[in-house]
Amino acid sequence: MSTTSVPRFVRADGPDKVTGSGRYTADLTLTGTLVAKFKYAEVSHARIARLDVSAARAIPGVFAVLTQDDVPDVRFGPFVQDRTLFARDVVRFEGEIVAAVAAIDVPTAQRALNAIVVEYAPLPVVNDIEAALAADAPLVHEGWSQYGAADVLVRERNDASFASIAKGDVERGMAEADTVVHSRYVADGCHAAPIEPRAVVAQWEGNKVTIWTTTQVPFDARAGVCETLEMPASRVRIIVPHLGGGFGGKCGFHYEAHVAALAKATKRPVRLVFSRREEFIAPDRRREGIVFDFETGVKADGTIVARKVWLAIDNGAYTADAGFFSQLAAMHALGPYQVPNALAEAHLVYTNHQPSGSVRAPTAPQTCWALESHTDEVAKAIGMDPVAFRIKNAVATGKEGPSGQVYDEIGLVDCIEAATARAGYGDDLPDDEAIGVAIGWWPSFSAASGAYVKIDGDGSGQIITGAQECGTGAVMTLRQLVADELGMQPEDFELVYQDTSAAPYDMGATGSQTLFNNGRAAIAAAGQIAEQLKQLAADMLEASPADIVLADGAASVAGTPSRSVPITELAGIAAGGELLIGHGSGVPPAAQEVSGATCIGDVGMTAWVAPQFSCHAVRVKLDRDTGVARVLHVSTAHDSGTIINRIGATGQVEGGVMMGIGQALTEGTRYNDEGQQRNAALLEYKLQTCADAPPIDIHFVEINTPNAGPRGAKGLAEAPNVATAAAIANAIAKIAGTPIRQLPMTAERVWETMNTEGSPA
Amino acid sequence: MSFTIATTLDEALQALATGARPVAGGSDLVVGARHGKAPLPEHLVAIDRITELQCIEVTDAGVCIGAGVNHHIIEHHPLLSNAFAGLSDGSALVGSPSTRNVGTLGGNVMNSSPAMDTGSPLMVLGAEAELRSLRGSRRVGMAELWTGPGRHSAEADELCVAIHIATPAPRSNSAYLRLEYRRSMEIAVVGAAAAVTIADDGSVSAVRVALTAVAPTIIEVTGIGLGSVAEVAAAAAAAASEQARPISDVRASDKYRRHTVGVMARRAVEAAARRALGEPVSVPVNRAIGIGAAS
Ligand SMILES: Cc1cc2nc3c(=O)[nH]c(=O)nc-3n(C[C@H](O)[C@H](O)[C@H](O)COP(=O)(O)OP(=O)(O)OC[C@H]3O[C@@H](n4cnc5c(N)ncnc54)[C@H](O)[C@@H]3O)c2cc1C
Repeated sequence: MSTTSVPRFVRADGPDKVTGSGRYTADLTLTGTLVAKFKYAEVSHARIARLDVSAARAIPGVFAVLTQDDVPDVRFGPFVQDRTLFARDVVRFEGEIVAAVAAIDVPTAQRALNAIVVEYAPLPVVNDIEAALAADAPLVHEGWSQYGAADVLVRERNDASFASIAKGDVERGMAEADTVVHSRYVADGCHAAPIEPRAVVAQWEGNKVTIWTTTQVPFDARAGVCETLEMPASRVRIIVPHLGGGFGGKCGFHYEAHVAALAKATKRPVRLVFSRREEFIAPDRRREGIVFDFETGVKADGTIVARKVWLAIDNGAYTADAGFFSQLAAMHALGPYQVPNALAEAHLVYTNHQPSGSVRAPTAPQTCWALESHTDEVAKAIGMDPVAFRIKNAVATGKEGPSGQVYDEIGLVDCIEAATARAGYGDDLPDDEAIGVAIGWWPSFSAASGAYVKIDGDGSGQIITGAQECGTGAVMTLRQLVADELGMQPEDFELVYQDTSAAPYDMGATGSQTLFNNGRAAIAAAGQIAEQLKQLAADMLEASPADIVLADGAASVAGTPSRSVPITELAGIAAGGELLIGHGSGVPPAAQEVSGATCIGDVGMTAWVAPQFSCHAVRVKLDRDTGVARVLHVSTAHDSGTIINRIGATGQVEGGVMMGIGQALTEGTRYNDEGQQRNAALLEYKLQTCADAPPIDIHFVEINTPNAGPRGAKGLAEAPNVATAAAIANAIAKIAGTPIRQLPMTAERVWETMNTEGSPA
Repeated sequence: MSFTIATTLDEALQALATGARPVAGGSDLVVGARHGKAPLPEHLVAIDRITELQCIEVTDAGVCIGAGVNHHIIEHHPLLSNAFAGLSDGSALVGSPSTRNVGTLGGNVMNSSPAMDTGSPLMVLGAEAELRSLRGSRRVGMAELWTGPGRHSAEADELCVAIHIATPAPRSNSAYLRLEYRRSMEIAVVGAAAAVTIADDGSVSAVRVALTAVAPTIIEVTGIGLGSVAEVAAAAAAAASEQARPISDVRASDKYRRHTVGVMARRAVEAAARRALGEPVSVPVNRAIGIGAAS
């Protein structure tokens, strides 16, 4: 699929996954395991008038039926503590858990669910993001003002987090502009849709619980269990078997506590495995819908002088990790442009929909889609080529971005030039084809992270890491970093990972941070062993440790390769004395201080460490008779710093692009008037398939990034998902003669737009 | 609950006579049961190992395709994909490679979904289903067979053993297209098949058009006047849009379906005409021309 040639890199988990010998959570069977099932609200907003589980409890084979009355009465949530494990008094979305059952088998569990009596008194359904902001809109949370919440959040009624970024004087800027372009866009919510549905298995021994679960963030899952079941971290162990994809959807704390509570109540191991429908409706992690309003003022020569953005994000019924989305979306809405006068205002709005949460580059693809569609409208309004317009206004080395951050070495303009040249931008095309171009950005997340490395007496090593592999290959790459540090081979190291009781903390497979932070930790841990090996070799070879070089599995004296000792021999010596054990964490790179913009609701999203940039140029063919768009070719250029594992990096770009095509054309949640999902199934929620994959050209702009991750690496897992939908939109708009104002740009919406009166096509 | 594996037609007919339901590839029956559409029947008889159901027999009069022939075979069969190309177009679009390898023509026909991809091709080709039971054998045309969504006129003890299609007149061929939002694992949003015969003067001397997923069953379009290919294609489009009775659902609105089924009908007539004139339009048409073409 890609044109990049990549060196061979065998993933440590590859053979297991490819041959089927690997074990996933749902594969685990412990003696006496019971089946867990949840009773969901099914209605979007109602007061619970009556909840009676006694008949369900009386069914033979039913071991436990739990409700909120059976667990500690704790409200939780990382930003706003607005949620309980089970519904308490009110249900606020169809996938809210009212009760949980543990039974001997699936039919018995199903019978128990049917025997649970719930009566609801309906409450008004908040189904529309903008209407929810009205002063007299019904409240999703009557008691919002009493909830605990992060101090920085600015909250008011249905607005769970308001953020603004203001720079210069936007009104004066608009007044100075020769042309002001105004646009409105609406992005529907969509899903991470990992192929492996969620599963959780819990087993107690004494007062300790072990939970095997499909999480992307084991330590976060542990923290959630500790908080809601009121236990110390030391008594909760989270283990993640192989994870079958996550795409952000498996970030956060989900059902670990429910299953642990069932296992405790029944004194048996309990297993939960989601159906595809549950996977669609229940988790508090789906990509948020957003409504956008843009205004940009430009000079006749194409200089942006002012930009004003208003946006409202669908938070859904509870604030999962979406508390930082307002400010992040505000950054994406201003975009990687030099904007001297800027004002962005963003709201995170409660509705009676499934809660939103981090899905691969949260807020970015849809905001990039809206901003970059608007950007093409601006360029068109002043008769300027959209690529030239971007090059003129894009942030660049030494230039100031919309939040006041002045960027050191960055390669955005290189990305624009490379992607468009490789796409053949400007060449003649048939009249039903066009190339659309978009640019995107994404931060690297700097965070604490830890790893151990040890080498045993036989010279084989282990990397024991808190990092989580969600399929990207980031954890796999640790072997390469550690091996390079020690002059050994990646195959010399086994990975011990995804076990909170074995390894030190890591944030998990989230924020594209694994290699960025855990790579640093693993290198630091390996560095300690390197020092030990050099000392041992120096003693043997009668040299100074500073002159010892570790390479090709041996320690030798610099400049005298004949004076050398194999590392396995040194490992044997160490095994009888001071063991080869290293631990590392390293100091996370700090974000630049920014000045020049004032922010309300500041959650630290305006100054980015080692920001990543991208440009996608996509050739699209549009069937004017039906509105069906087909992506013929995608050309990508990414500045993600140094590329360490090229085959892994290539896979991330391919996957990000395919997800972007789906978001652009076919993936979007449809709600009925009651706020329930109409397409919570893979037949009606259309992911892209292999047969839809176009050729994807992949180019990396590798420049020397200061203040980055290991060897100058930035993150990469989310960035490739940012600009694809936007580039497709700009191609479609060129052919259709007008932008499509709702995402996904389904065939019917394209056709409708082209056939609406007043449309130029 | 019982599960019988029949190896001869007789065993299968015996089982049906005692109340068993046939399962061929299971790609509708089993998948539907898992999705809660209908529970699995109490008694099943597997018919996938009956060799008599696997044959494709060609005579001067026409072709007989065993009900157990799968979509992969129909897609690639040299005679079918040339002379009965519309049927191969339909089979080639079913699901994914694995669906095409297990899903059978008989299963597709007897499942009787209004969105089935071999439905309108069989209709325009004038196909007949051969139904057999211990009581005897009969042939029914497609319009008579399909009575509603998931419903047909066969008796419970009747097995569909084969589909018969008469050899088309010289300079005739067929084509089937569907509107799809992705290129595999899709279900027809709408679809249309056409069979045309081209006269010596290049005009269309006979045309049949049938529509997929715009009514409770596959329906045939009536009253299309003859003329040049372009005229017939335009008339077919107009008649298709007018006669369609589509619903609105999460896949598409009735308005959009009504419009696009006309587009499909026009393109089906055009592709069938090109094939009738000997121009190679590869199977499936969805990937050969227009938006689906390789580049
Ligand atoms: C992932 C997937 C994708 C699909 N995509 C498509 C698609 O794109 N287009 C499409 O048209 N279909 C599609 N299908 C549906 C299905 O694959 C086809 O309809 C297939 O042809 C069914 O054949 P089968 O042999 O599997 O039928 P079965 O499931 O075995 O049977 C279907 C029904 O017909 C009855 N039956 C089967 N054989 C006979 C017989 N000889 N006589 C009497 N009754 C019989 C059975 O009792 C049952 O009621 C898809 C299915 C899946 C799972």
